[in-house]
Amino acid sequence: MSFWKEISRRTAHLGRRSKFDRELEDEIQFHIDARVEELEKTGMPRADAQNQARREFGSRVLTHEDSRAAWQFRWLEDFLSDLRHAWRSFRRSPAFSLTAIACLTLGIGANALIFSLVNGILLRSLPFPEADRLVMVRFTPPQQPDQRLGANSGSYFFIRRHNQVFERMGALRLSPFNIGAEGSGSSREWVMGGWATPGLPETMGVSPMLGRWFSPQDTSLTAVISHGLWQRAFGGNPDVLGKKLQIDLGDVTIVGVMPPGYQTLNPEIDLWRFQSDENLANALRSPNRVFNMFARLKPGVTIDQAQRDLESLAGPLGEELEMNRGWGLKVDSLRDAYAGHLRQPLLVFQGAVIILLLIACANVAGLMLAQATSRHKELALRSALGSTRVRAIRQLLTESVLLSLLGGIGGVALGWAGLAVVTRMAPAIVPASGAITLNLTVLAFALGLSILTGVVFGSLPALQTSRPDVMEVLRESSRSTTASSSRQRLRGAFVVAQVALSLVLLIGAGLLTHSLLRLNMVKSGFDPEGLATFQIPFPRTLYKNAGGNTPTGGLLVEMTPRLNVLIDQVQERLRTLPGVESATVAMTPPLGGIPRRMNFTRAGHPLASSEQEAWNAEWYPISTDYFRTLKVPLTRGREFGAEDLATSRPVAIINNTLAQRFFPNEDPIGKQIQSGHLYDPAREIVGIVGDVRQDRFQLGPSPQMYLPRVQLPARMDMTLSFEILVGTFIMRTNSPAALIPTLRQVVADVDRNHAVTNVVTVEQYASGQLQDLRHYAMLLSLFGGVSVLLSFVGLFGIMANTVSQRTNEIGIRVALGATSRGVLALIGRQGLALVGIGMFLGLIASVALTRAISRFLWGVTATDPLTFLLVLLAMAAVALLACYLPARRALRIDPIIALRLDS
Amino acid sequence: MGERSGAELLPGTLFMMILQTLNARPLHGYAIAKRIKQSSKGALVIEEGSLYPALNRMLVRGWLAAEWGTSENNRRARFYRLTPEGRKQLKKESEAFDHLMRSIQLVMRTQ
Repeated sequence: MSFWKEISRRTAHLGRRSKFDRELEDEIQFHIDARVEELEKTGMPRADAQNQARREFGSRVLTHEDSRAAWQFRWLEDFLSDLRHAWRSFRRSPAFSLTAIACLTLGIGANALIFSLVNGILLRSLPFPEADRLVMVRFTPPQQPDQRLGANSGSYFFIRRHNQVFERMGALRLSPFNIGAEGSGSSREWVMGGWATPGLPETMGVSPMLGRWFSPQDTSLTAVISHGLWQRAFGGNPDVLGKKLQIDLGDVTIVGVMPPGYQTLNPEIDLWRFQSDENLANALRSPNRVFNMFARLKPGVTIDQAQRDLESLAGPLGEELEMNRGWGLKVDSLRDAYAGHLRQPLLVFQGAVIILLLIACANVAGLMLAQATSRHKELALRSALGSTRVRAIRQLLTESVLLSLLGGIGGVALGWAGLAVVTRMAPAIVPASGAITLNLTVLAFALGLSILTGVVFGSLPALQTSRPDVMEVLRESSRSTTASSSRQRLRGAFVVAQVALSLVLLIGAGLLTHSLLRLNMVKSGFDPEGLATFQIPFPRTLYKNAGGNTPTGGLLVEMTPRLNVLIDQVQERLRTLPGVESATVAMTPPLGGIPRRMNFTRAGHPLASSEQEAWNAEWYPISTDYFRTLKVPLTRGREFGAEDLATSRPVAIINNTLAQRFFPNEDPIGKQIQSGHLYDPAREIVGIVGDVRQDRFQLGPSPQMYLPRVQLPARMDMTLSFEILVGTFIMRTNSPAALIPTLRQVVADVDRNHAVTNVVTVEQYASGQLQDLRHYAMLLSLFGGVSVLLSFVGLFGIMANTVSQRTNEIGIRVALGATSRGVLALIGRQGLALVGIGMFLGLIASVALTRAISRFLWGVTATDPLTFLLVLLAMAAVALLACYLPARRALRIDPIIALRLDS
Repeated sequence: MGERSGAELLPGTLFMMILQTLNARPLHGYAIAKRIKQSSKGALVIEEGSLYPALNRMLVRGWLAAEWGTSENNRRARFYRLTPEGRKQLKKESEAFDHLMRSIQLVMRTQ
């Protein structure tokens, strides 16, 4: 009760403060006057009485302050006054404040940026109900436990039937569709679509926002579209249900629209078609691992339990369906399945930016200590006037927290801008990457970080500066160095830490950059410059179900003759384009696809079963002019030409690696080679060509075999249909950029029913391969560069401070005949010692820490001596500069002026 | 502190003595200090630096009320008087203090 009355009295006081102050003054005056009167009565002269009364009363100001304090909400008012003070002291030294805020902006900005990514990718909850129960089930190939592949339809059925842990399961097979909306005329669009099982949305816990999902009665002629496609193609018209969509060359009916943000995979899907169980059962024995399996755990089941359950199924599955023998099963949470591969790089970056922030903190702490000379006197004065040490520390902390909050505001702005750049550089990092924003969580993080930062960098200087050796400080003259030596030591420690931490970041950046340079020097075996490509996914009308299955259980399809006619027509048309030197057709673009690998044998060369695995080569059906267009050197023999017809003798070309490995000490030309591809005849080797990096740069050269596309068997296993049903056209031209816009029209001239996709240069494919590494190297180099800049500022600051403090001493030395070299050494010694210790510590830390990025390195080890040496030299050069510039100023000191400062 | 000589106040007794002094009648600040000095025959001196903050603290707690009046020499002065809560507080504090003093005396005598 009395507590609340007290609060109300204090609150009422707030409105009467000026009156209170006036009255208190009156009251104090009355007190003193009364005492004067009393003393005068004892016969003391008035002036003496006044003096004595005043002396007796003591500090009026202090009495006043203490009386006022009785009424105040103490900490609040103190805080406000601290804030006013802080603001005033910033205004007094704007260079210091701006430097400090800039350092903190960089540090906090980098953290806000990376934390936005961490939060949006690793920490966010996925947009599905009870998302922690959602998992992906994937296969691991024999002896490759780190790989993750999809399920074939047989294994999907098997797992659905035998598992004990899933409430529901669904599967999705990605498939690009070439679509046109009803009534939209000739404009066709190329969208990513998927064949989905009926249970998929229930598994994810999402239902269509409009219409319905598939039911078992549906046929493949129904479709559900994404919110995005609904907006794009139908303007969000609610009458969309029942409308027709042209897919490939047939019509499907739209039965539903999914809500925005419903995406289960990367890339995002615009169109779902119905994958009925009957349909799946047709391909029961197909080995194609094309299904992404999603499942919802039964309540209370953990991922580990699910993992054990599925492991127990892997054996029986291999028994029942031979193509799954030896394959393992892996259950990953949906979140890990989406972003597991980004966890390590993100954590590395989070570590890097925390280091960056520590460097920034050390910098600002150093700056605050540099300021301490002037602040020390101010604080000593305040202490002499009755301010407590706690109050002084709080004052200094308020200043540092205010600084860091200002830095935090700048940092959030910087992080926001950085995030815009990052999301533009890598637009689809994860499914539904729209969640990567600078949201409230990130803002709260930045705020917390700012306050923490302020306390961290503020507390050491505050404790140090507020040491209450009042008399000594007040006596201390500006040129004395003794009292500030411990301050100087502390600053020195900050510089050591900065140099060490910067070195760690720089070495990390150096290793990544070195890897990138090495990868860029890898010879691809062809000339990517001037190559433009595009792809045509062939519609279903160009092949048909041949009926029946292959011996391995795959579905047989049969190509129509029109397919080759189309390819020839387009290739011919491309050849005649202005600026095109030559044009060719392949299955996948070089450096832009996953090569199909095929086992093979040599005629009259039976293989032991243990050898069969090793007799494996990349397998490429190509058209004429392939090697001429790519500028792949012909080692021996000939290229494919017009004489290689569907009906002529089957031929093949092999690369140097295949020739050396499988035809040692003999001439492969004229020898027979038989690929494991169904219905493929034995082929005579007619040429040997150079090795081409068709796959990833990181992989070494592997055996390759080429065959004329026209000689492909008419009937083929669906296994190959994925690649074979896409034609990749490659043109060599002097200006790919000029050619690219005309390509769609060229194809439309031949047949306007075909969609043209992936119109890019081969160099874009090549650079796309190194994109991740390049981004990592870029970011880490950026952070490393900023850290070096911060360290430079820190080192420069402490050296400049030393010079100005020792001006007098230097003056004496110069007057006594010290050489300029002597002066440089005198000043430089201190800085170089700090740098030396810092680099030594940084080196040790780097050796321990670079292991974290060893996975991203190529061709260099995590402790690559050359990189370490170069980075050390660069760091040393920067440090020398930071020492030299202030030291040079010491040289220019005029002894006369310096000595005069003394008097 | 100059010619002033006087015992240190026992910690925590300042409020009690002010309350006791004001129990008889309202007084202004200077009179409170003087009265305490006189009643203790000069043994206890309250520094002005702590008197006024103490008075204000007691005002905040509602033990005292203050109003402006006229002093014995016809000047405007601020008079403090006890509120009912102040009287209760005085009773509480003096009882506790008596108890403490008796206990201390007991200890001191048993030798």
